[in-house]
Amino acid sequence: MELIHSRQSPEPPSRVVVLGGGGFIGGRLRAALEHAGIPVLAPGRSTLDLAAEGAGATLQSLLRVGDAVVVLAALTPDKGRGLAPFMSNLAIAAAVGAALEKVEVGHVVYVSSDAVYGAATGRLTETSCAQPNDLYGMMHLAREVMLRTATRAPVAVLRPTLVFGASDTHNSYGPNRLCRMAHKDGKVVLFGEGEEMRDHVFVEDVAALTVAVLRHRSAGTLNVASGQAISYADLARKVAVLFDRPVMIAGTPRQTPITHRHFDITALHKAFPWFRFTPLDDGLARAQREMLEPR
Amino acid sequence: MTHLGLVSAVAAAARGFEVVAFDADADHIARLQRRQLPVVEPDLPEQLEKHHRAIAFTATASELGRCGVVYVAPDVATDDAGHSELRPVRALIATVAAVLDAEATLVVLSQVPPGFTRSLPAPARRFCQVETLVFGDAIRRAMSPERFIVGCTDPGAALPAALDEFLAAFGCPIVKMGYESAELAKIAINVCLVASISAANTLAELCERLGADWAEIEPALRLDRRIGVHAYLSPGLGIAGGNLERDLATVCDLADALGTDAGVVRAWTENSRHRRDWALGQLHDRVLGEGPNAVIALLGLAYKADTASTRNSPALALLAALTPFAVRAWDPVVSTSVVRHPRLVQAASALDACAGADALVIMTPWAEFRRLSAAAIAERLRGRVVVDPYGVLAPDACRAAGLEHVRLGSPRPPRR
Repeated sequence: MELIHSRQSPEPPSRVVVLGGGGFIGGRLRAALEHAGIPVLAPGRSTLDLAAEGAGATLQSLLRVGDAVVVLAALTPDKGRGLAPFMSNLAIAAAVGAALEKVEVGHVVYVSSDAVYGAATGRLTETSCAQPNDLYGMMHLAREVMLRTATRAPVAVLRPTLVFGASDTHNSYGPNRLCRMAHKDGKVVLFGEGEEMRDHVFVEDVAALTVAVLRHRSAGTLNVASGQAISYADLARKVAVLFDRPVMIAGTPRQTPITHRHFDITALHKAFPWFRFTPLDDGLARAQREMLEPR
Repeated sequence: MTHLGLVSAVAAAARGFEVVAFDADADHIARLQRRQLPVVEPDLPEQLEKHHRAIAFTATASELGRCGVVYVAPDVATDDAGHSELRPVRALIATVAAVLDAEATLVVLSQVPPGFTRSLPAPARRFCQVETLVFGDAIRRAMSPERFIVGCTDPGAALPAALDEFLAAFGCPIVKMGYESAELAKIAINVCLVASISAANTLAELCERLGADWAEIEPALRLDRRIGVHAYLSPGLGIAGGNLERDLATVCDLADALGTDAGVVRAWTENSRHRRDWALGQLHDRVLGEGPNAVIALLGLAYKADTASTRNSPALALLAALTPFAVRAWDPVVSTSVVRHPRLVQAASALDACAGADALVIMTPWAEFRRLSAAAIAERLRGRVVVDPYGVLAPDACRAAGLEHVRLGSPRPPRR
């Protein structure tokens, strides 16, 4: 389902409720919304624990008619990919869904994941078959359906691919981990020779696109990817040059077959013709700089 | 009296037959009597002028009663999903059957799905015939068909004398078969064409990334007898026009209903949508990233050259995705008034469209665009990018003029 704008001319929503506003993407989204002067409510876990019993009623009490709701809250894969986090994540979506059934919000944005495409390789679009091959991907796909059926408001589902940025704690195989390895060990270790092509998207671009979706009150599905896949070997070289000292790039014996994933972002071009992704070199440099900044 | 009917009537008259050309719309008939044509088709005005005395345009159905053979040939409209609207052709057949002479033969020439002709309640003496109208080449093909494919109840039986005499006048093979086979044969022809187009488009895209050039490969394929010199091997912006899409939709519907596999047909449809947006991707990669003030020159609105049809036109799809940007457009026969775009300007000519633009996109391979001088284009453009999917401009001339020329199936030139 392609992304359709309810508002052709963008307008700021009256208020955005961000669920999961303390996370990696959520934090950037809050900052972007505040920068745009859009009122934000991002209840912390002390106010709203979406995994707790009665969370739906608590959220219901926080929501106002006409709110835009962005759902980011999830146990991420670094917390485990087993049955327990899967069920917890469904419980979170069930709580959100229960609240959405009671309060007529104006718009819902669910930040899903390209994990819904499972092991699909090659060129992907929004119409590619969503066929998860693990519980994490299945969780996102199930939550997409849960939220779509819980509300009559327009629902936008965003499926970001590999997101990078300074405050990411996931440490999955991507720019962040490569930067940390380069910084700590002076060495970047690749799977195989880093042949796999992947798309990496800067966290601020995810936030900016989410704001655009909110302004247009869009409904449908959109992959969030730059459209420019790069091999891990080339990515490692880009990371290496960000450091003053030499960084060694080392391959390892390949354990799994080489797979590639590219995104065709025509739908994004059509939905937001003016949108420009941060060039990968610039995003990497900013992420590395912020990552190494003393806190 | 739509595109197919007009072309068929003129071809019959050219073969020496007296023709009654019926349409229930009296105003339409009056315009045709004045030889004002509703379609753009090369050589049709000339042939109509030459043979008009043999054609009686009429809005009176009873005049068909004096005909030995009556062809029913309205264009069958399709919806956005490619599904046919068959009620008008059924209604027309009922009208004709009511006035048909008892010895006359009715031939369904319109694009109908398998089972249609057999399902008709009347008349008893009815046939279906495969049309292979090609917009822009319709007159030549109607005058000199490769063969006639005729659907009938008994392929072993002789055709009625009047129909046999008419078809024999064209001097080509007559292939008889059952109704359903003939109706499916029409679809089969288009499916084979789409298969070729899809193969060419798929490999052309690979060429663009690999540094290979499809323009070099294509002639070699044509020399292979298993592929052939007339094969549809030129890459394009997907399939458009409506007829091919209709036949793909029909195959999928039939396969779904009968439990056969149509996965590859659905893949062709998806590939067509993908390639339709090729020019948009090129513009985003090369021009639109520079900012929202980009001005685009767009040549060609029709879905192909030598027609005014914009059905599923890639140019219109492109315009729909360029709404934030200023566009200066020109087409030899299609006005920009057919398009809703907030910043679209109707240019006075092809070169006028280029004035001050950051990029030129040539979406229809009209002959007049082939005559444009690359130097003249370069002189008028503000930018250097020319997105020319069909390669209507000579790459060498573009390079010499300092233009960044991009075409389907060719290696991507480096961005300046």
